[in-house]
This record gives sequence, C-alpha cells and structure tokens, in this order.
Amino acid sequence: MSSTAQSIQDAKLRADIDRSLRHPVMFFMTSGAAWLAVSIILGLISSAKVHSPEFLSGFGWLTYGRVFPAHIAALVYGWGFQAAFGVMIWLMARLSRQECKSAGIILAAGHVWNFAVSIGLLGILGGAGTGVPWMEFPTFIWPVLLVTYFVIVVWSFIQFRVRPSGYVYISQWYIMAAMVWFPWIFLTANLLVFVFQGHPVMAAGIAAWFKSGLIFLFFTPVALAASYYLAPKVTGRPIFSYTLAKLGFWSLAIIAPWAGMQKLTGAPIPFFLPYLGAAATALLFIPALAAGVNILRTTLASPEAVEQSPSLRFSVAGIIGLLVFGFAGLFLNLPGSSLKLTQFSLSGYGFEILALYSFFSFIMFGAIYFIVPRITRREWLSRRLISMHFFFSVYGIIAVSVVALFGGLMQGIGQEEWIQPWINAATRTYPYAIFITIAWAFILFSNVFFFLHLTLMWLRLGRRSSHPTLLVSHHGGSSPHGAEGDIDNAGPGSADAHAH
Amino acid sequence: MSLRHFIIGLSVSFGLAWLSVVVIPFVKMRNLAPIALNAEEPDSGPYFPKRAGRVANGAEIYASNGCYNCHTQVVRPTYAGNDLFRADWGGLKADPERGDTRRETNAYDFLGEKFAHIGVSRVGPDLSNVGRRVEAIYSPENPSRWLYAHLFNPRYEADREKSTCPSFRFMFDEKEVGTGLSDDAVTFSDGRSPGSDTTEFVPNSDAKALVSYLLSMKKDQPVPASIDFAPKKAEEK
Amino acid sequence: MSVPNSKPDLDESINVAEAHGRIIREAAATAREKRIADNGREPVSLWLVVVIGISGVVAGGILGNGGAWFDYQALFKPGYVRDAAPGGDDSGPKPKDAIAAYSTRGAKLYSAKCAGCHGPDAKGDGANYPSLAGSKRVLGNTDALAMVILNGIQGPTSSGKTYGAGIMPPQGAGMGAEDLAGLMTYIRNGFGNTAGDVVTVDMAKSALDISGKRAKAGQPATDAEVMAEHDKALPGEPLDPATMLNPVTLQPATE
Repeated sequence: MSSTAQSIQDAKLRADIDRSLRHPVMFFMTSGAAWLAVSIILGLISSAKVHSPEFLSGFGWLTYGRVFPAHIAALVYGWGFQAAFGVMIWLMARLSRQECKSAGIILAAGHVWNFAVSIGLLGILGGAGTGVPWMEFPTFIWPVLLVTYFVIVVWSFIQFRVRPSGYVYISQWYIMAAMVWFPWIFLTANLLVFVFQGHPVMAAGIAAWFKSGLIFLFFTPVALAASYYLAPKVTGRPIFSYTLAKLGFWSLAIIAPWAGMQKLTGAPIPFFLPYLGAAATALLFIPALAAGVNILRTTLASPEAVEQSPSLRFSVAGIIGLLVFGFAGLFLNLPGSSLKLTQFSLSGYGFEILALYSFFSFIMFGAIYFIVPRITRREWLSRRLISMHFFFSVYGIIAVSVVALFGGLMQGIGQEEWIQPWINAATRTYPYAIFITIAWAFILFSNVFFFLHLTLMWLRLGRRSSHPTLLVSHHGGSSPHGAEGDIDNAGPGSADAHAH
Repeated sequence: MSLRHFIIGLSVSFGLAWLSVVVIPFVKMRNLAPIALNAEEPDSGPYFPKRAGRVANGAEIYASNGCYNCHTQVVRPTYAGNDLFRADWGGLKADPERGDTRRETNAYDFLGEKFAHIGVSRVGPDLSNVGRRVEAIYSPENPSRWLYAHLFNPRYEADREKSTCPSFRFMFDEKEVGTGLSDDAVTFSDGRSPGSDTTEFVPNSDAKALVSYLLSMKKDQPVPASIDFAPKKAEEK
Repeated sequence: MSVPNSKPDLDESINVAEAHGRIIREAAATAREKRIADNGREPVSLWLVVVIGISGVVAGGILGNGGAWFDYQALFKPGYVRDAAPGGDDSGPKPKDAIAAYSTRGAKLYSAKCAGCHGPDAKGDGANYPSLAGSKRVLGNTDALAMVILNGIQGPTSSGKTYGAGIMPPQGAGMGAEDLAGLMTYIRNGFGNTAGDVVTVDMAKSALDISGKRAKAGQPATDAEVMAEHDKALPGEPLDPATMLNPVTLQPATE
C-alpha cells in the first residue's frame, strides 16, 4: 500500500509543480513558436534573395543585409532562448522537486524579453544594426536581455540549491552549466566588443567566439538536458551508461570554450588562435558522440516507444542531428583541405542551422510535446498535425543542412580557383540557394502546423483525455492506453481508466 | 559530484580558455606596438596607413546594411587560401608605378574602425582593395560614378548581370534634373542614367558615406620589412 | 498553488483512493509518467574509444598547423613567405602580344562557328565555301569584313565568284564585341594572311553599331552594298600589335 501511496504523493507533487509553472512555460513555448515562424519567414525571404536578388528589392528594410541578420536574431534570441527558458525552468523544477513560486515574475520577465527582441529586430530592419554577426541588436538591447535572463533563471538556481538531498540527475548538471556559461559568454562578448575599445580584428574574433559559445555552451547543454530527461522518462529504461554521460559532459565543458576563432583563419590575430578553434570544433565530435550513443542506445532499446511517442521521436531525430552536426564540425575544420574552402561559404550557415534546427530545435519540439500536456492537463489534439510537423521538418532540415554544407564546399572550390573571374565562383551557389529556399518553405509549412497546434493547446482546447496522443494509432484497443483519441464524455477516469 | 566541485570544475575549464583565447589576446592586441616604417631609419616614423574618406560613418552604413554577410575584408596569406593569387584582391598585380603591390591584410589595416568587418561569407568579391580596383581599373576618370552605379543597379553592366548584390536604390533620391545631370548623379558606363527624361537619381548621405568608405579601401601600401612577406629577390639571397 | 486541504506528508487522513482518482482525472499525463530509473552501468564499448581516439588524432593534426601555442606576438605563421602562384610564376594567364592575345580568342570562335563550312585550314572547298586564306575581303578593309561576318552575304563574293547556293548565313547572333574583334584579328593574321594589325574591341563595337544601322539591317549583305558603303577601316584607335595583353581580359598587361 505504501508504494502506491508513495507514487500518488509523487504524482501529486509533479502535478503541483506543473501547475505552478503553467503560465510562464506555456508563454515561452508559444511565444517561441511564434518567433520561430517569424524567423523562418525571414529566412525564406533572405534565401530567395540569394538566387533572385530582385525579389522584394528596393526597400531598405527588406534588403538582404538586414533581413538575413534579422532571421538569425529571431531564430536565436526569439525562438532559441525562449524555448530554452521554457524547458530549463520546467526541467529544473521537476528534477529538484520544487514548485515554482515566482511564476508571475518569470512571466513578466518573459514579456520584457519579447519586447526587447522585438525592438532589436525592428532596429536591425530599420538600419540600426551593429554589424557584428549574431550581435546585431542595437547596443542598448543587450543589457536588458542580460538582466531579464537573470530574472528568469535565478529561481531555477535556487531550486537546485534547495533540492532534496540525494541523486543529481545529469540533466541538472547540464542546465546548471548552461545557466553559468551563458551570462559569462554574453557579458564578455558584449563588453569586449561594444564597451571596451580593443583592436578591431580581435573584436571580430571575440564575436566569432561568442557565436560558437552560444551554440556549444548554451543551446547544446539545454538540448542535452532535455534529451537526457526524455529518453529514460518516456521509455522507462535507464540511461545506457553513466560513465559515458559524465564523459560527454566534461569533454564538452573542457573543449567547447576554446572553439570559435576558426572563422578568422588568415586574419591578423595571434596565429595559433584560429587553429586552436578549428581543433576544438573538430574535437567536439567527442561529446556529440558520447551523448548521442548514450541516448540512442537508451531509446532504441525500446523501438516501439520511439515509434509511438512524439516526444521521443523528435528527440531521437534531434540526437541524430547532433551526430551529423558533430561530424560536420570535424569535417569542415581541416586546415589542409576543407577549412580554407568552407571558411567563407554557405557551409558556415549550414553548420549553424544544423546546430540550431536539426539538433536543438528538434529536441525542443520533443520536450514541448512532452511538457505541454502536463502543464495544460490536455492532450494534443491531432496525431496528424504532429506527424506533419515531424515529417516536413525532417525533409526540410535534411535539405537545408546537406545542401548548404555540400554547396558551401562547391562554392569554396570555385572561390579558390583564382584564375577564373569571380563570377564563376559566385554563380556556383545558384542551384543550392534555390534548393535551400524550397527547404525553408517546407519547414515553414511544418511550423505553421506546430504553432497552430500549440496555440490551440494554450487556449486550453486540447483533448480532455487520459490517453496520450501517440503517433501510431491502435485500432481495436490493443494499446495499453486504450483506444487513442477518444473523448471521454463521461469524464476521464471513469470506468476503464488505467493507473500506473 | 558536489555542487562545489562542479562549480570549481566548470570555472577552471571555462576560465582557462576564456583567459587564453579571449582576455589575454584582447589586452595584448589592444596595445599593439607600432612598427617603424623603415627599421633602418629610426626616425622614419611609425607605419600608419592613413585612410582618406569618411571611414567611421561609412563603416556604420556598411555594417547596418549587412554588407559583411556577402563580402569579406581579409586577404589571407597563402597558407590559408588563394586570395593573394588573384590579380586585384590584395592590391594590383600590375600597378603602373610599383608593379606588383599585392599583400596580405595586416593588423594595421583597420585603423579608424571599431570592428573589423572580416566578413561572414564570400558571395561577392573581397573588398579590401575595392578602392584601388575602382580607381585604377574600373573607372579612373570618375571612381565614385562606378560605385554609385553599382549600388543603384548591380546587374546593369553586362559583365555583372548575374550579380546577386541587392540593389540599394533606397539610398538614392529621385530629383528633377537642373541644367544638366548633377556631378554625382547615377550614370552607367554606357552613359545612360536611370530616371525619366526629367529626373535623375542622386545619392543621399548614406550612399555618399558608404562610397567614401569603399573608396578608402586601399590596403596595398608598402609595409615595413617585419611584415613584408614577399619572397626575397634573387640578389639578396 | 496547492489545493488548500492537501497535506505535504501522507498520513492516515488522506483517502488514497480518492486522491488517486483525483490525480488521474485532472493530471492524467503527469500521473501516467514513468519514473526515471537508475543510470545504467554498461561499459563504454571499444569502438567508441577507437573513434574518439581517431578524432583526437585528427584534432592533434589540426593543432599542429597552429605553430607555437600561446605565442601572442606572432600574427602570421612564423617563417611565412608568400608562395608563388601554383602552376606558373604569374597569376593568371601569361601576357601575349596583341595579335596573339586576340587570336587566342578568335581561334576558339573560329572552330566553333566557321570551321564547319570554311574548313579548319580556312581553305574552303573551292565550290561551296570560299577560302579565307588570301581572301581579298579578309585582308581588305575591316568595316566590309565585319558586315559580312555579322550579316552573311548573298550572291558573289569579293572574288566575283558565287559559291554554292550563293548565301552565307549571318554569324552575328550572340556575338559580342570581344568575340568579333578576336575572330577578325585571327582570320586576318592566320592561315597565311598577314594583315599585321589588330581589330580592337572598340572597333568591333563600332562594327556592331554600324551593322545595326544598315539600311537593310537584318538581311544578308551583298558584295555590291558592302563595297559601296562599307569599304573602309572601322573607326577606332589603332593598337600597336606588339603591345602585351592579358589574353583573357584583352587589357594591357605591364609585365
């Protein structure tokens, strides 16, 4: 009797935690999804302008040089950070078994973040961008973002401190690390580029280090935290190897801070720095492999779970994205061959999108499909909407990543053919650019479904049911959860509801 | 692993890299010592490549319009790329006075700017020496004319009809023609100018600043021996 | 946030079944979650270690390119000397004298457009296609020659003889000034012809212009028309045939 009582107690605590966090987490998810859609539209426009420069031309606010940075800013600061915040605060609360008492403050801070990002984006499109890649917001924005960030995450830090003593989950280490790394990187980069006057080329180097740090030391750990939580949770199996998990974490912590400067190979900065950056980026294949193998072996031990559960399927796709991304990091940074070819090509964009979408975003989608039913107490409305989201995103992102990486290589080969006039190299990108535009259209299509679905959930229009929305429908009630998709008119929990 | 150990481990692993790769080079490069122009003559003064033109304003326009997304401003040494083999990127291969003036970008080439627009990718050519190219090859008689024409409609000229440079038409104002075309009105190489019979397109202050900045991009001055990497001539060996 | 009556610790006053039902009803998703089990203790497999080792070796190789570590003073590779362009001591194609430079271009066009009829040796076949070697037209004034190339010719040629069906199709479609200049220079100075001068790009531009302004623009020329109206040199600055040019750009190369 006591173990059932224990599990009731547990379920109750979890339900209370979910309820306490409902408003801020739903806000971050939905608002993030809206920013994702905005970012993809901007990405579509800028990709179209690469092969059809007369598309929407003549307007200052839509010129490629402003639309493209706006696309990246919306993707990173609008979608990336907000999805990360939603997942971070929910995960830390659950894993530390603490309810959130500051939901109102977090929600307010989230609105401030939204406002700051909107102003920043309008600033970029209006011609007030700073010209520093990934730091294009007008310079008054970054302090606002930093303060807001602290207001959002400090409660998670506190929750960790007051957690009941005992086991610390690997996800908690990743979230704690991300919470420490991001402000350190953000403050350093913004101070050394905008506030303290240094050498202009070193400032460019620090901006490149910032870009790499954001990818590897904020988005990567948050995504890994989510997948290290989802994999055992949904399958019910233990993480494959704790040793591998530790190896993955510490190798990331030790290697990633050195990466980034390879963007400045050949520029007049201390000679060893770009090669150190290239070596570190290549070595980051190790944490990618460690985490990837660990999570895949955990989940693929129960393939039916991967088939059925949307969260798990998205997570596994994201982990495969991680492995591809890690390998691309190895492959693109060989100084004798690929580095000089891809340094100034489409491959850089492909690499960033691999990280931000095929790895980070897919895992965030997985986490969202898991978290939202719990905090809204409704199930997802439609299996088909989830499937559409999944498949169109997968097609789209494989196209974008592969085409950009390969196309960049071709472009780079053309660039290095110095005897030919430049137009030869410039025209090499045409077919790849067209492909990428089409791929973004697919991804936009998929995310429209996602945003719609999420909004309906936010409006509490999800299914009232005790049966989850799974990707595989079981006709005839052979699933342990009973016939999927039914609306219990007599109220859930009546008659044949199951308990775990 | 306790929280204490975790924080220490994190701080050491990150802090070491942060110091080595970010803070120390930042501080050292901030205090880059000037090099004497001529090592043998101590009074020759420092090597200080001057840049004529509205560098600061123009750099801001360059930055806010995202030119760095498609154009780079770094000529890489030969171990890092083939930029120097091109005839007009690192300088001019056949300058009438000095012969081959091509060289790599060095640390003194960005004086006057706060942030070096090294660039994200090369859809368009490198711009380190665009000022030299325009003045020596494209339109020596009126260098800014070429640049205004390019910014207005990059695809007009036959040899660049496949260019994907955006059109910066929004930096030009359409005005009534006075007695004749203004000096800086947009005209193409065949003498034609956009606009109707009675109007011309005149650059606004943003365009003027940008063109002034681009024309200042001449990074092939002679350099002191310590950063001169040209192969030594046979008789000096 | 908690329901007012709930107690943090489970004690006898809580009706387990009722609490159970309430949780299932309201927080179904939460209730059905599985617990995270203890982490596995599977050993790290050997192939993983091998792959990690290989990545380490690759990264070590990359680092090897970096020279002395932490040498903040060296902004370039120590001992760096600029390489010469591979495949030659110049970058780009070697400069040639003007006639050779233009002819390089013209030769390509000739074999594409003209050799099919006039023959690769430009000797024609005597009956259907006239010979260009020693041709009066080719060695004569450049305006006339340009008109024939661009518009074709109908009827007898400069030698008075009519070849074949008496019509040469126009070749001007898609031909730019540089191509025309190259072709004319090539046929005037090759195949035994020795005109000894260069048809420059500017002259070719004028030719294109003149061709467009013909009274019978669009129709093939005739010998009579060409001799009457076009028997002169094309306008344009003559170019010293000894000038060294870049054969790709046809611009002067001072080397």
